Amino acid sequence: MRSILLALAAAWMTAAGAQELKPWTGGGTPALVLEDLDGRSHRLESYRGKVVLINFWATWCEPCREEMPSIDRLLRSMDGRPFAVLAVNLAEPLSRIRTYLDKTPVGFTVLLDRDTSVAKAWKARILPVTYVVGPDGKIRYSYVGELDWSQEKVRRTIAALLPP
Amino acid sequence: MDRRAFLKVSAAAASAGSLPWGSVFANTAEWRTYDVTTKVTILKPRGASRAWVPLPLVDDTDWHRAIGNSWSGNAAKVHVHSDGKYGAAILFAEWREGEETPLLEVTSRFMTKDRAVDLSKPRAGIGRLSPADYTFYTAPTELIPTDGIVRETAQEIVRGARTDVDKARAIYEWVVDNTFRDPKTRGCGWGDIKSMLETKNLGGKCGDLNAMFVGLSRSAGVPARDVYGLRVAPSVHGYRSLGVGAPVISKAQHCRAEFYAQGFGWVPVDPADVRKVVLEEPPGNLAVKDPKVEAARKRLFGGWEMNWLAYNMAHDIVLPGATAKAPKLPYLMYINGETGGERLDQLEPDSFRYEIRTSGVKA
Repeated sequence: MRSILLALAAAWMTAAGAQELKPWTGGGTPALVLEDLDGRSHRLESYRGKVVLINFWATWCEPCREEMPSIDRLLRSMDGRPFAVLAVNLAEPLSRIRTYLDKTPVGFTVLLDRDTSVAKAWKARILPVTYVVGPDGKIRYSYVGELDWSQEKVRRTIAALLPP
Repeated sequence: MDRRAFLKVSAAAASAGSLPWGSVFANTAEWRTYDVTTKVTILKPRGASRAWVPLPLVDDTDWHRAIGNSWSGNAAKVHVHSDGKYGAAILFAEWREGEETPLLEVTSRFMTKDRAVDLSKPRAGIGRLSPADYTFYTAPTELIPTDGIVRETAQEIVRGARTDVDKARAIYEWVVDNTFRDPKTRGCGWGDIKSMLETKNLGGKCGDLNAMFVGLSRSAGVPARDVYGLRVAPSVHGYRSLGVGAPVISKAQHCRAEFYAQGFGWVPVDPADVRKVVLEEPPGNLAVKDPKVEAARKRLFGGWEMNWLAYNMAHDIVLPGATAKAPKLPYLMYINGETGGERLDQLEPDSFRYEIRTSGVKA
């Protein structure tokens, strides 16, 4: 039981100024198999060959709501490239998620972590937390807290992972 | 992005699906979801400032599940730390020297379900604790010794009791019969059970009385632990004293206790709350034999109403990143802060201003 928390100490974040993705040193990539809003199952393994941004969020999380449009802008800037976004919602009713997305439409896939088991496997204790997974399926970067994902520096870091 | 904007917005933007205060809590057999929001302001900052906020229990149980936490504010660094030994999750925030208005807001969402253990029938498959866990949960802490007067008292109490349940019950009844809730105790009490026994001053609050249960149980070889937390809703069982009456719960910290028995697992108890019913349940100062007290006494050996957030089970805590010279904390239930190298008074939410609010969430 106590060993579950060993990875928590890795989640440093700077609130202002140096908004840089943190290279991942936290070990292997946990499994991720979740359904989207239409009930379709998504497995992270099926995204091999793409860079995947996995964002854990909730409608009750103010910073999560604030950064979502920037994730959408990042996705649109990568149009046509092997890049995907999976936004994992923590344990909220479908109706509440749909209401939020009706007001803030996004172009990426929203997945439902109904029992928070995936969030726990990914150590998503503080929201929002985002992982960037490389085309080989390995986590390359993480970021805890809200970030402007469309800023050029962040976009360049992620684009550098894309396969040629 | 300036996170000060989040604080302005968050006051107006209630959590999606929040319920009107007091309207939620009728069905105790199902999971209920709550948000607890903690706002911290360091008044008169001098030099660098720091704050520590306990987060909900990390490990899911069949009565408590953490969903997630979020923060906003103008801290330069925010870090979720584990105390290491007990697995307590602590959100640590730091502001640099020169920050004139250190602000932090932490929202935690969690779910609870009322808990009751049927002590009439042991269940096959629930064995003893591992040797390592047995040692861990019968060991002393800095303020909860298991030798000397504590052991002597425990041995006297459990004489003739054969099973761990019998021993725990004897200790529970002794705590209810011999201790009292002292309204003059500051905060929840520090749990210095040796001093309490030596001075024969058995008054205190939950941090004292439930620590007494834990210390006596451990001394008697019954694994036991305190569970530190926060009341978050009214009681639906008709006890005004065992719940909160308003959304602001900055002073609603409450600790409970558990013991472990083969066949039953971890069993919840709360002798401190029985004494709270005695003192505070209207009209107040009830007799121990009052029917309300007797009903609570019966229910609180083996059951908890889960209008309560569980933080952790940690003792003897060194706050991570602290620079102020200060003793270890006997437990982590309160917001802690420091500025200019000085620890702030965790029991005075106005001295460095923290406010904790609760709301139920629609399913």
